[in-house]
Amino acid sequence: MSSRPRWHDFSALAAGALLIGATACSTPDSGGGDGADGAAEGPFTIGLSNGFIGSEWREQMLATLEEAVGEYQAQDIVDELVVESADVDVNGQIQQIRNLINSGVDAIIVNPNSPTALDQVFAEADDQGILVLAIDQAVTSESVTNVVIDQGEWAAANAQWLADEVGEGGTIIAVNGIDGHPANEARWAGATEVFDSAGVEVVANDFAQWDQATGQQVTQNLLASHPDVDGIFVQDGMALGAFQALESEGKVGDVAITGEARVGFMKRWAEQREEDAEYSSIGVPNPPAGSVSALHVAVRMLQGQEFTSDALDGNTLYLPIPETVTDDNFDEQFGAVEGEPDTYAVDGSLTPEEADAYFQ
Amino acid sequence: MNTLTARAGTSVSNLTRARMPMVATTVLLIVTVTAAATLQGNFFTPYGMTANFATILPIATVAVAQTIIVLSGGIDLSIGTIVTLSSVVTVRLMDGGDPSQVPLALAAGLATGAACGLFNGLLVAVLRLQPIVATFATSFVFGGVALLVLSSPGGTVPAVLTGGYRQVFAYLVPVPALLLLVLWLAWRLLRAQRIGQYLYAVGGNAGASYASAVPVTWVRVFAYTAGGTVAALAGVALLANSGSGDPFIGNELTLGSIAALVIGGTRLRGGAGGAGGSILGAIILTLIQNLVFFAGVPTNARELVNGAIIIIAIALAGLLTARSERAGRSEGRTA
Repeated sequence: MSSRPRWHDFSALAAGALLIGATACSTPDSGGGDGADGAAEGPFTIGLSNGFIGSEWREQMLATLEEAVGEYQAQDIVDELVVESADVDVNGQIQQIRNLINSGVDAIIVNPNSPTALDQVFAEADDQGILVLAIDQAVTSESVTNVVIDQGEWAAANAQWLADEVGEGGTIIAVNGIDGHPANEARWAGATEVFDSAGVEVVANDFAQWDQATGQQVTQNLLASHPDVDGIFVQDGMALGAFQALESEGKVGDVAITGEARVGFMKRWAEQREEDAEYSSIGVPNPPAGSVSALHVAVRMLQGQEFTSDALDGNTLYLPIPETVTDDNFDEQFGAVEGEPDTYAVDGSLTPEEADAYFQ
Repeated sequence: MNTLTARAGTSVSNLTRARMPMVATTVLLIVTVTAAATLQGNFFTPYGMTANFATILPIATVAVAQTIIVLSGGIDLSIGTIVTLSSVVTVRLMDGGDPSQVPLALAAGLATGAACGLFNGLLVAVLRLQPIVATFATSFVFGGVALLVLSSPGGTVPAVLTGGYRQVFAYLVPVPALLLLVLWLAWRLLRAQRIGQYLYAVGGNAGASYASAVPVTWVRVFAYTAGGTVAALAGVALLANSGSGDPFIGNELTLGSIAALVIGGTRLRGGAGGAGGSILGAIILTLIQNLVFFAGVPTNARELVNGAIIIIAIALAGLLTARSERAGRSEGRTA
């Protein structure tokens, strides 16, 4: 080894250091929003962090939010919506949120990729005086206000319908989302509670990643090994696939299946109703426009309004679930969304007036 | 310079050309830092610096790990899952927030990373499997074991780690930046040892190294084991960054680590480059992602613009690397 100094290595670092040093004293402002100290006048800047794209549900979540922001912009209450939306892992979403913090937003609405692994970056936002609201999935961080539907309640509504269909002593198979996923766990806990008290037996439980094609495959496999079941509990995003599996087995009228409040499934449901007036299903909405409800809540929190004493459960605001699609209201509900693409989800959000009711 | 390259290293013209990748990397660094400082209003604030370095440290550490392996003529497609596996082992052992558990948990995490690296090294160097295929396969093994260790996201990292990770010294020097410096110094230390020389020799020309009595097999096993150990450090950085465990947390870092080392001027065929360049490459890569956001590129176009800029960065580094290679074929460079 020669003793030639590798000055070029150091020169690279030194160049960076010099650059940093030269400008270090010029911009000593601290970051963060200007809504840091309680009540503020606005207009407010809202950030959105979304870590999963390519799903119509998420597109709908974004589109409805942009529309609602437009209304606030017209009133000069919100000046800008800054969107960070990409397929990222937890690290990528941490980077998204840091970018939003560094761009000086007043509040961040986040659809979190993890219930726990973003807690530290949420605390960073809190330290910078930025409000954080989680939608779709609740997080554990105390720095965050969750604005979500109760996934257990969502699943229980589906399970109750299925339990009534198959009756006491009935057997069902379950097609769930992702094993260990918090929303999946909350849903399955809510559903099993209903099944247990109704005396319904779950003979098999498998996972299909909330994907229609996988849902079809998994349902086919489960039906092959359990041909005599009375019902299928399937979560949304997979119900159409499960229905198709049932169809290929020729068991559509015989085996009850929980549906979904999405246009693709509702079209099949409508066809089935024409063939068989007795055909029954259910679609409990999981509204993408929870983003809009969160926006209404965020604006009121930024304006310094205080929650009523019973608005929150811990740090979570549970949104009402929009009206369930049932056999009775099917024609009306289907008529309202018939023109939308197959992947469109029946939607609903708090109105500004309904949001006011959560505040003093 | 070792004996293989001593003659080439003394030529002044070769010396100048040999520095070309480093020049390219430095130019890219200056451009990205200047652009970031201009577009991100709070770049030079304590939080701005902490946020950037906290994001950079994990990817930079994985890039260093990958560099050690690539220099020796290998590649590790399982490195992201090694990060994941060692981080979930660590978080399982330190869960509960008891600070006295931390040293043991960290040691177990590092041992896990080293064991994974050793396994890869034996497959590649002793069983002579193709590195790309062998480590692609082990990525599923390590990722699968990680799911067994921690089946769903959870676990709490003690505040001593998450808090310490966010400390800032002297107003603008965040802890992750200091750790990055320590990592680079450790690399320089390794580089100065005989084994550091051997890495370049084996990666540059394994046959000639063997003929020169370099223990080629052992050097390769060492490279994978050292890479695995450094990857485990990245796992710890991720834990400190996120504050919680996740059975997929490191998996996507593999390709980023390779991109960072290429931008940093390390030759993918091995034998030339260094960890210093890879660290700068990781900084450049991360800042580019941030820049695309701060420049106000519409959301749906960001991935495209980001990818295009990275291609330009890699092409710039790659073109200059190729030119310097034509000038001095067998020369090993350091960075």
